Amino acid sequence: MTTTFAPATPNPVRPVSFGRVLGSEWIKLRTVRATVWTLSITVLVMAGLAALTGWSTVLMRDSDIEVDAILLDMHPASIVNGGWFFAQLVVIILGVLTVTGEYATGMIRSTFAAVPRRSPALLGKAAVLFATVFATSAVAVALSWLVSLPFLGQLDISVDFASAETWRLLGGTALYLATMSVLAFAVGALVRHSAGAIAIVIGLVLVIETVLASIPLRIFELVSPFLPSSAGGRLLMDEVSLSFVSNPDAPVLTPWQGYAVLVGWVVLLLGSALLVTRRRDA
Amino acid sequence: MIEATNLTKRYGKKTAVDDVTFTVEPGRVTGFLGPNGAGKSTTMRMIVGLDRPTAGRVRVNGRAYAEHRAPLAEVGTLLDAKAVHTGRTAYNHLLAMAATHGISKKRVAEVIEMTGLESVAGKRVGGFSLGMGQRLGIAAALLGDPQTLILDEPVNGLDPEGVLWVRNLVRFLASQGRTVLLSSHLMSEMAQTADHIIVLGRGKVIADAPVGEIVARAAGGAVVVRSPQAAALEEALRATSAAVTQTESDRLEVTGVPAERIGEIAAGAGIVLHELTPTNGSLESAYMQLTADEVEYHSENPLGHVAQEQGALR
Repeated sequence: MTTTFAPATPNPVRPVSFGRVLGSEWIKLRTVRATVWTLSITVLVMAGLAALTGWSTVLMRDSDIEVDAILLDMHPASIVNGGWFFAQLVVIILGVLTVTGEYATGMIRSTFAAVPRRSPALLGKAAVLFATVFATSAVAVALSWLVSLPFLGQLDISVDFASAETWRLLGGTALYLATMSVLAFAVGALVRHSAGAIAIVIGLVLVIETVLASIPLRIFELVSPFLPSSAGGRLLMDEVSLSFVSNPDAPVLTPWQGYAVLVGWVVLLLGSALLVTRRRDA
Repeated sequence: MIEATNLTKRYGKKTAVDDVTFTVEPGRVTGFLGPNGAGKSTTMRMIVGLDRPTAGRVRVNGRAYAEHRAPLAEVGTLLDAKAVHTGRTAYNHLLAMAATHGISKKRVAEVIEMTGLESVAGKRVGGFSLGMGQRLGIAAALLGDPQTLILDEPVNGLDPEGVLWVRNLVRFLASQGRTVLLSSHLMSEMAQTADHIIVLGRGKVIADAPVGEIVARAAGGAVVVRSPQAAALEEALRATSAAVTQTESDRLEVTGVPAERIGEIAAGAGIVLHELTPTNGSLESAYMQLTADEVEYHSENPLGHVAQEQGALR
């Protein structure tokens, strides 16, 4: 320790702004190992499952088993983004940890001491998380396309980048994964507990939405299409799958309507998290 | 300057801070004392807006903390050394904190050097010792070169060199006209560091005065007596109103009787004295007297317990 305490240089300190909070949150996100691990796993899961989907499609075509028409009409981009369902479980964990990691370690007190209005800090975190997961997912989709090329070639199909459906399916994957990570983030900010929040969001996606959708009661038929991942997942389905899953008695959302419903959930949860966090003791 | 007015914090039925009003003046080091659970940390958290007061308000440098546009330039805070993500390196932690206020990397390097963290700045905080964590917390508090410093137990876990460094730091900052509020359980350290003391007990201010005044207010100090005939002297003193404790075979600590009277008693009984020293009241004894009735969590005196049992057996 030195014995001089005065700053050696003039030390300009500027007011807190949202841009500076974004910069700070970006430093925080990229300097913990959880981010590196979860994002690497996201890319691996996406690319691996794209290869697996392509391979199994080739195998099924070559087998003597009578193949569903749906498989033969499958959009080539659906092979490329075949890993989205499992990839979302990973980005959910990252979304939760981005905020609960700070509560668990006490870092949140440093964060709120620097940004005492709190909402900019949470919104900055959410924005940086969204952008990072979106960019990583876009890279994952590109890589998935590359690894599925050999299988697409064997199937004599190719991804048509001139088609709007292709862009909806591939761009939608990045958009959906980034949005789900922010949904998980909002739950994490409300619950403030890593395991609890991860259990809630993954339980919702894996169990609750599936169970509710399969209960043959009118109320659940009406409600389940509007649950977050059921609605948002519509964005990632090709025309064939969309026609296949629609229940004639249940409300049918178009892909973008479905995504809008998911965004509605995120706005609701994130808004509640902001309100609650402003009032709570840190 | 920190101004708390009727500051109150309740957690359910428990009142942690009870209608507290005080001012921490610039240009001096103010010590914040009190038993565990007295409300010191809660008060400090309310000052920087981490806990919401149930009633009352607190201003720092004229405004509520959250209303400052660059809070880290107004108040540097060390609330506890654990307010850091354990998976991030010390350097990256400081960098992220600095980024919120546009503080340069140069300043980050400066506070790292100031607090002696150079060799561990690239390591993850999770592996830090208590002392290293404290240094990092102090580095973060100094980042914005703040006008006011709030340090909760800053010397906790520091080595003697670190303790001395913190003392010099806060004395220097106060001499520059800054406001320093410092809590510690080390009374001897506080006596050397602080100019002014605020004592909390069960959520209330029980003393708010300069250190000298608090020490002087305490009941008289003990008189240390050394004598080869300590046992005989003890016998003679017991006949008066004196309370005597034998600390060594030839050493007594006597309270309740002035040194002059002890000398007279010894002379009267023909007892040889090797030493007769009146001691001044210490901040520690003053503090103990002040908080005797206010201690939230009493630790049981194991010897007292044994004595009671023996008394019962007799």
